[in-house]
Amino acid sequence: MKMTQNRIPGASPFRGSFLAALAVFVLAAAMPALAQDLAQDATRMEELEARTAAIMEELAALRAELELAKKETASVEIETLRTEVAQIAEIAQRAETSTLARDNPISVTHLAGYAAAGYSTTKDGTGSFDVANFNPIFHFQYADRILWESELEIDVGDNGETEVGLEYSTIDIFLNDNFAFVAGKFISPIGQFRQNIHPSWINKAPSAPPGFGHDAAAPAAEVGFQLRGGALVSETSKITYSAYVGNGPVLAVEDGELHGIESGGFTGDADDEKVVGGRFSLLPIPKLEFGLSAAFGDVAIVENDGMEVEDDAARSYDVFGADAAYQWNNFDLRAEYVHQKIGNQALSILPEGGTWKTWYAQGAYKFAQAKWEGVLRYTDYHSPHPEQSQEQVLVGLNYLLTANAVIKLAYEYNDGLNGELTNKDRIMFQIAYGY
Amino acid sequence: MKKLTLKTIFALTLTVLLGFGEFLLERQGQAAPVATQSDEPTQFARGAKAWANTCARCHNMRDPKELVDDQWRATIAHMRIRANLTGGEARDILAFLQGVN
Ligand code: HEC
Repeated sequence: MKMTQNRIPGASPFRGSFLAALAVFVLAAAMPALAQDLAQDATRMEELEARTAAIMEELAALRAELELAKKETASVEIETLRTEVAQIAEIAQRAETSTLARDNPISVTHLAGYAAAGYSTTKDGTGSFDVANFNPIFHFQYADRILWESELEIDVGDNGETEVGLEYSTIDIFLNDNFAFVAGKFISPIGQFRQNIHPSWINKAPSAPPGFGHDAAAPAAEVGFQLRGGALVSETSKITYSAYVGNGPVLAVEDGELHGIESGGFTGDADDEKVVGGRFSLLPIPKLEFGLSAAFGDVAIVENDGMEVEDDAARSYDVFGADAAYQWNNFDLRAEYVHQKIGNQALSILPEGGTWKTWYAQGAYKFAQAKWEGVLRYTDYHSPHPEQSQEQVLVGLNYLLTANAVIKLAYEYNDGLNGELTNKDRIMFQIAYGY
Repeated sequence: MKKLTLKTIFALTLTVLLGFGEFLLERQGQAAPVATQSDEPTQFARGAKAWANTCARCHNMRDPKELVDDQWRATIAHMRIRANLTGGEARDILAFLQGVN
């Protein structure tokens, strides 16, 4: 051990050659083994490669199989769906061709209408639930040619009796894009309030402006023929027109006075002279409308203190109206004037005529996401009978449950003849729903 | 005498109106009162505009989703009479309502 130790540090040339030879020998002896190892590694690699290739191939085959399997199940599913859809389509088709079809291509029946309930109380008077009515509207339309429209007025009177009235019933024929022919009992086309504003879900106040009720300044309805339509004048402006001929109103005498003009629409014509009239309006811009209305004809007295009167001399009857409406942002503004004038007739049981006239202006404003609406209305109604005349300011607040269901609360400041109901302030509450 | 003059004026006005209507019809070449579904996208756009301009003039705007297609047909026919719509306006508005309801 010691000797070896000594030999290395003091290496002689001989010892060096010996060591080199030994190294060569060892190397030479190791070479074949190394070569053999390398050869073995190479074969192993080849083997591995082959195996990997085989695995890859297998994987590809598996994948292909999987895809195929997937496709097969999918196409089965699609097929099932297809048959189901076809079955449903067939059912739908059958439903459509049945008499209950919702999309019948020719005729449509439709039910609309409105209902109201209300409570009102006069200052220093008693209050009552004074409104309970519903007005069903029936529509039967044939193609785009004919519409039959009819509205009933079903009301509980203060005596508890149910009253049924025919508000209107007309057959409308669309002649062309600009004219429709209307026949039957229709709402008077004079002005705006009676035609377009009076339904409770539309009227922003719980009451009609004084003079626009029954037998007052504004004609209510007419039985006859009407021709109406509209035409575009430019991109933004249009005109509308309604012209009618009808039996006209009748007069009733009470306590030696003309009580009022009964204009509810009659199928008889006591005076034998037809009333002709109409309305023309211009919309210079889309939400601004100016209208003028007029009617002329004859009327006669048909009743005297509840007794029928025959062959009373006919007298002249004139109507004039002017109206304007404008919608701007959340504001809705409208105003309307109308009068009905009865001429004198020396040969009549009551020679003196008279004029019933009224006008109102109304502003409404929607706020709080259009859920609330404030209303202010001023009306000045003049009748030949002082106890009917009335000046009124109405302040109202409405809550809109939906666009067609509204809860109204209003206060009327009334100024009429002392001691008359027309002189008593009133609080009103109403719920109205149009469907 | 007065009555006669008024009636004559009225008859004349009516004649003029009728003539005007016919003139407009000829000018616009749209004599057919039956719905034509030809120009759908522009009809829809025209309908949307006419609806916005017209349908809240007398009452609150009614939600197009309130009614199904055929109910809108009857309602628009009703409104065509009530609001003196032209046939064109009625068809455009109907196309719009049936498109969004
Ligand atoms: C000129 C006024 C006016 C205009 C403009 C108007 N309406 Fe009406 N609308 C009414 C009146 C009045 C009623 C109530 C009908 C009745 O009581 O006979 C009504 C009723 C309705 C109803 C309730 C269902 C029915 O048939 O009664 C719907 C829905 C309706 N209108 C939608 C519309 C649409 C949509 C438009 C736009 C094309 C429109 N309205 C334009 C006046 C108008």
